[in-house]
Amino acid sequence: MTRIPEDTISRGLPGETVQPAPRTRREARERYRGSERRQARGLPSTSTGARSLRQAAKPGASLGAGYLGLGAAVLTGIEAVAGIVFFLIRWTEFTDPWLPAAAWALYLVAAVGVGLSLLTYGERLTGLAFVLICVVLACVVTLDFIGIWPEHDLAHTASASVAAGFALLPVATLRPAREVATAIAVLGLAFIGMAIASTPITSDTMPALVSTLALVTVPPSIAIFVVHRFRQLVQRELDRVLTQSNVQAPQFAVGMLASDELARLDLAAEKLLDAVANGSDPLPLSDASASVASSLATELRLHLIEGRRETWLYHAITESDNLGRSVSVADPQSLAGHLSPAQRDGLLQALWQMVGVGNDARTTTAGSPVVSVTLGPVGSDGHPVTDETMDVPIVFESRGVPRRRLDPTAWSALQRIGPYTDSVRDGALHVVAHCVVDRHPSM
Amino acid sequence: MDFIAQERDRLLRSTTRVVGVVCALVSVIGIISALAVPIIPLLGALACIAIMIGGFLVFGWNGSVWWTALILASGLGALALLFFGVDDTVRPVIASAVVPLAAGSISAPLMAQRGQPVGLGLTIAAGAAVVVAIVWASGSILAAPVTGALLGWVLIAVVTIWISRAIPRVARRIYSIGTAHRAERQASETEAQRRQGARLLHDTVLATLTLLAHSGVGVSEQAMREQAAEDARLLRHLRLGATPQPQQSGDYSLTREEESPLGQTLESVKQRFGRMGLEVSWHGTGQVLLPSHVLDAFLLALGECLENVRRHAGVGEAHVTIVHDNEMVRAMVTDSGVGFDLTHVSAERLGFKESVVNRLREVGGDAKLFSAPGSGTTVVLEAPR
Repeated sequence: MTRIPEDTISRGLPGETVQPAPRTRREARERYRGSERRQARGLPSTSTGARSLRQAAKPGASLGAGYLGLGAAVLTGIEAVAGIVFFLIRWTEFTDPWLPAAAWALYLVAAVGVGLSLLTYGERLTGLAFVLICVVLACVVTLDFIGIWPEHDLAHTASASVAAGFALLPVATLRPAREVATAIAVLGLAFIGMAIASTPITSDTMPALVSTLALVTVPPSIAIFVVHRFRQLVQRELDRVLTQSNVQAPQFAVGMLASDELARLDLAAEKLLDAVANGSDPLPLSDASASVASSLATELRLHLIEGRRETWLYHAITESDNLGRSVSVADPQSLAGHLSPAQRDGLLQALWQMVGVGNDARTTTAGSPVVSVTLGPVGSDGHPVTDETMDVPIVFESRGVPRRRLDPTAWSALQRIGPYTDSVRDGALHVVAHCVVDRHPSM
Repeated sequence: MDFIAQERDRLLRSTTRVVGVVCALVSVIGIISALAVPIIPLLGALACIAIMIGGFLVFGWNGSVWWTALILASGLGALALLFFGVDDTVRPVIASAVVPLAAGSISAPLMAQRGQPVGLGLTIAAGAAVVVAIVWASGSILAAPVTGALLGWVLIAVVTIWISRAIPRVARRIYSIGTAHRAERQASETEAQRRQGARLLHDTVLATLTLLAHSGVGVSEQAMREQAAEDARLLRHLRLGATPQPQQSGDYSLTREEESPLGQTLESVKQRFGRMGLEVSWHGTGQVLLPSHVLDAFLLALGECLENVRRHAGVGEAHVTIVHDNEMVRAMVTDSGVGFDLTHVSAERLGFKESVVNRLREVGGDAKLFSAPGSGTTVVLEAPR
């Protein structure tokens, strides 16, 4: 008997293309990473949410980068105008002003070219275009350096070459940080080399040289930082908005991934049964097909039976990259399903606030949850249960979230869950909210 | 306050911090490399810059106006100490050394003054003071340090405006993605409900798949084909949006009534197993009415137990005894087959827990398993009436 792999559903189905085994380690790693992310998200890979998250996480151009790039281009333009004015004022002081002028001309032509191509082809910059831009900037810097060589005073004569540093600002919004950082480093080294070669290093010239070097390298480096933070912000907000959709979910939900999975299993079963019915899979079935049928039956059964046990809170936490890493939930009685949308919204908001502050403070070690939430048990002291309603105690315990760092938003979110009391014990913030819910939710 | 507005402020504050600290450190290098400042003003200025850096670090998470004032005061203090501490000949050199401080560090708080008019006013006043000081120190309004400082302030202002405008724009796009996602989630949930609701259909599909898992042995080829074709047809209907409520699929008769008599349906189970070579004998009453979801669970659990008998017991006969009282209906499935040791073969391995116990517990029932090697197996199924 041939050995049949465990996971027979995703392969070996009649009429489906079989994915070949990964050839390189890199391919295997990427495939593994991709599938892991999809699993962790709890979202089917084809949904809008998953697609947007993937796009936002991709290096280089992403959601909102276009507008940010436009702003960076405005900065570059302002610097270029200032640089040209500065250069023209000193025109007569140069031994040979034509080479720096040529550098400026090349710079302007390249800027117009890049601007037009971005307008035509949209907000993205291919690797080839990036290399081309770098080559043009290198020519600009070289022309400028040759032109100002006779002055032997880099700090007070460099103009177009300084603008080359600013030209990297809009590029930083469109290309991965690593590439831009390399370009900045090369440019900085060129300036240091030029300074040492052309300018006598004395205590008189040194301060201006340091300032010039800073003017060339610091703005694009800060641009990388801002773009990085901006992308983090976009990803976090996207994550939060996608998670928010759970607020409207029914008491128990299967989650998008499971639902997708069920549809996939139904389709696989349909194909298999079709193959049996029209004789393309001859009876008695081969071992491989029998094994597919068996695993299909098991998985389908699991999906049909085990489906509705998880509440919206479970799905919200597992689907979210940020919450999933920092929040642990204990809800053995599935009480979260009873919460009204407003209470759910308050609960999620409070969690986001605590996680945001906790990640900001970075007082916790990576991997350990920042907040743990416990729902229930119902009927304990001070949490009465009547025929219609019950008072669910929701306990937040968070380490690494200093109480004073939580702003009013967090407390008003907690207020929306219900009346709460908070205390600090052994450095951990402890909040108990009385969440009064309907015993028979309509959702 | 909105979550995204908080995030925006956080972004602007941390940018302020990075710009301020980096520019201050660059200036420190420039000032020290000038080697022209007498020791006392130099130490004073370095202390001021240290206070300023401290102010920026705190400002990163607490954008209160007091920290802005501290940063501006210490920055201006450092400039004053440096400019007044040196003589006229060195002053332009020092002016070019403090350009990063003047253009970057003192202007950085401008980014995080949204909604704080006092802080904004203070920062702008400090900016004017900085430009005046640099013009005086470098001796000309056209000197490179003046251009540098002015450029720094203009750039910081543009950055501030641009980031504040970029974030609402991207937030709108994110919200529209969120709306699409919510609709998708609802559609997917409805779809899952529809598919899970088609239980009878899935029961017949599962039964057929289980037969196929054993290569269809024990059933005539023709019957198997017809059954598969029928089930595939039902699944296709489900996929295309209809919710088939089959009364009959191949040889299995299915019922979907609010309250269904158990006996009639038991008969079809018996026939199904009869075709597969397991003779099922019924004992006890068959006239129990059950709500349809309880009936579904009960029958599926029963079917699973009989399937286990057929597969593992090694006998051709099983007995099912049905008893009921006012609250419960119980089925006892007994065979005189090989049996097994409960401690060696866990119930999980037979898929017993997920397919039988869980399904019954979902409707308020339960199941228990008794067996020993050589003395057959008994399963007791319970479901509420």
